[in-house]
Amino acid sequence: MVHLSSLLLKQYHGGYVVIRLSLGGCTNRPFYRIVAAHNKRARDSKYIEQLGSFDPLPNIHNEKLVSLNYERIKYWIACGAHPTKPVAKLLGLSGFYPLHPMTVTEAERRRNKEALAVGGGAEEQEQETEQVV
Amino acid sequence: MFQVATRFPNPLCRFLTPRASVLVEAVRGRKSRTDPKAKSKAGRVKVPPPVDPVEMVVLKERFTQYDLITRALRFEFKEEMLRQRYEQEVGSLAEERAKQEAEEHCALMAWNDAENLQLWKLRELRVLKGLEEEELKKTELAIQREMKMESFVKEKEQEILQLQEEAKTFITLENLDQRIEEALDNLKNYNFAIDKEGRVVKRTVLQ
Repeated sequence: MVHLSSLLLKQYHGGYVVIRLSLGGCTNRPFYRIVAAHNKRARDSKYIEQLGSFDPLPNIHNEKLVSLNYERIKYWIACGAHPTKPVAKLLGLSGFYPLHPMTVTEAERRRNKEALAVGGGAEEQEQETEQVV
Repeated sequence: MFQVATRFPNPLCRFLTPRASVLVEAVRGRKSRTDPKAKSKAGRVKVPPPVDPVEMVVLKERFTQYDLITRALRFEFKEEMLRQRYEQEVGSLAEERAKQEAEEHCALMAWNDAENLQLWKLRELRVLKGLEEEELKKTELAIQREMKMESFVKEKEQEILQLQEEAKTFITLENLDQRIEEALDNLKNYNFAIDKEGRVVKRTVLQ
């Protein structure tokens, strides 16, 4: 009789643990689980432990709900797990990690663009009023 | 990715997909490295996305800071975890737990001994009862055997007496002549039928 447990326990060489989002849900309705898994595993397959969840679609009160198990995340980071970029961003927003640089830069870029658009609109209005006048 | 499909899976494909182009099953990443590029993309030059140098400098600075902080946090977490583990295994809590376990063990062993004593006493009583019952049975058996012997002896004595009595009517050498004379004198007629119960049948069919 083949011992199934030894077949299911995959041994990775030089792999590491990651904390990442594994996609679930249905068509046009994504739902992410924040999960500690081996790097080489498929995105949605067997993970070591679930550390939280993230719902990307806003709910009735226009909130995107995120849950994080800080104790276990601390444990896994202590054991040497690498969080991926979206997970790092979420952790930064929650306050567990410092704010991710890309969140800040993205916010700045958006603000600059809005400022430009507002400035351009004001200039266009001025030009139009001048032309009219 | 996936294997390339057979050349002509369907006769209609001959017209829909001419030989020159690629016939691949998969959807994602339809073409691989070795497949020929499309004619519309012949003169395409791939250009990386534009980078603002000022922003890049700022970003690099921010990233170095971020990495520093995250690495420091990682080391802190590791230290905390090791300390917790150490305390669990070796620290004061572990000693208290060991003491409690030892006490529990002693209490349980004492309870176990008490239970064993009680059971032993019960077993003793049972064993004594069993012995008594065995003795009673033995005596009864002996009595029965004696009674059987007595009855047997009595029967044998009875048989002997009966035989002695019958022996008086035996024919011996001295009575021989006398008995022959008697038998010849008293003729007996045995010409009768008998039924299963031993009664003489008086009336038969042939009568």
